[in-house]
Amino acid sequence: MTKQTAYEKPIPLKTPDNHEYWDAADRHELKLQKCSACSTFIHPPGPACPTCGSPETEWELLGSDISATVYSYIVSYRPFLPGFQHELPTVITVAALDAAPDVKIMANIIECDPGDVEIGMPLKMTWVDITDDRALPQWVLARG
Amino acid sequence: MSTYSNQCAIVGVGENQRSRKSGTTPLHMALTAARNALADAGLEAKDLDGIMNYSTGGDSCPSHELATYLGCHPKYVKDVSGGGSSTELLIADAVALIEAGMLETVLIYRSMNGSSGVQVGRGYDPNMLQEMLPGGSFIMPYGSASPSQWFGMFANRHMHETGITKEHLGHVCISFYEHAQRNPNAFLNGKPLDMETYLATPDISMPFNIHDCCVELDEANAIIVTSASNAKNCKSKPVFIAGMAPRTTHSQVHYWTQVDEVAADHAAADLYKSAGVKPEDIQVASIYDCFSWVVLRQLESYGFAKRGEVGDFVAAGNLKLGGSLPSNTAGGMLSEGYTHGMNNVLELVRQLRHDYKGTERQVKDCELGIATGWAGPDIAGAMILRN
Repeated sequence: MTKQTAYEKPIPLKTPDNHEYWDAADRHELKLQKCSACSTFIHPPGPACPTCGSPETEWELLGSDISATVYSYIVSYRPFLPGFQHELPTVITVAALDAAPDVKIMANIIECDPGDVEIGMPLKMTWVDITDDRALPQWVLARG
Repeated sequence: MSTYSNQCAIVGVGENQRSRKSGTTPLHMALTAARNALADAGLEAKDLDGIMNYSTGGDSCPSHELATYLGCHPKYVKDVSGGGSSTELLIADAVALIEAGMLETVLIYRSMNGSSGVQVGRGYDPNMLQEMLPGGSFIMPYGSASPSQWFGMFANRHMHETGITKEHLGHVCISFYEHAQRNPNAFLNGKPLDMETYLATPDISMPFNIHDCCVELDEANAIIVTSASNAKNCKSKPVFIAGMAPRTTHSQVHYWTQVDEVAADHAAADLYKSAGVKPEDIQVASIYDCFSWVVLRQLESYGFAKRGEVGDFVAAGNLKLGGSLPSNTAGGMLSEGYTHGMNNVLELVRQLRHDYKGTERQVKDCELGIATGWAGPDIAGAMILRN
């Protein structure tokens, strides 16, 4: 029997404002909050629309085939939170969704050589099962 | 020009001995800094009717405690959660209260065991930002908890768009380290930096290596602001507050996805208008430098070099003495010390008073200076001072 390794990194905390996003992530889907008044996507989700202040919001399912491009990124050589000491260097990106470029989703770019990453590179969203019932959206480089 | 221009002045500045390990409390350090600022101004503690301080994560001591042990009872105390820009923003509050006739003389301080005690942006409880901020759950799971990572995201995009290089960051560091060699109280006095060493230093968070990051220390600083009429009674040469500007941008406190603008971009026009001056009139500067790139970005925001030309501006030595904008002439937060910007303002005041006259540290005949704060890309507080 292999020994179960506990997940050491911070697990996304579900709140009344954001649980729709993380519940969808657990199902390996991307769901975004949207303003019912001005139709702007709201990310990260919150109690009202930061663009127009409207409290009327809804949720839109974007599915599991999510593409984006690297808007900016950093390569981190030191761990600032538990768990990351095992995966250095860590690449963190904010990626602009192809379907809605104003929405930028921060995540790691996993399974990549940090030296290969450049601004403007295409990415695909993937979901990593981090516990029995939680999954974390991540980016991988879109190849070929 | 604003109605408050030159109606209030900074009349006292002081600090304690900075170190990696103070062996004492923020209260003790703040008392030393406050007493030194009072002595500098020729004032007594009973002359203070306002005391204000800013802190991050409860790393300071309350203003009321400071008043208690200075042996005074000010009318007004105020403690805010802040960091970069808070020096400028609290000075703005003091000016407003003095102009409103509520207060006459206000002491503002920052005291922190930033090395031996609570380090800013380090050792966070993994769930702290998640519980505190709506955006926190979207950054912490990805390992993003340090300002070096947050600001690096802005830096890399900006460098990509404007052609700023690692060498340009190095010129900022080298310029400030050079200043520190003339300042016996700078923590990195005796430790000059050259480009070869800089470029050979590995990154902590790309594009920043240790030299690009401020030097975290235990220290306290204090500043005394009073009315222009009362300034005449002080023993120091007054440095007048000519203009000020605050600004916030960005929808989130930490989930910054829009990295193409910073609050300083919007503060600049208001700032110059409030003082009735232009960027080319400024002779000496205190530019918030928690990271080297933050200086470059603010030089662009405040109109000292055009977008795309900021790298050449610093490479030409313009931040050094003899350059067009001698900046952070005590060494800045990169090499003198780090009190969330206040130590840079202390130096600006001393330059404008010509405290270093007759030495190579003095920016010759300077009369007009700028202090720019940067809490993050989302908050700016800036002021223009004149002698």
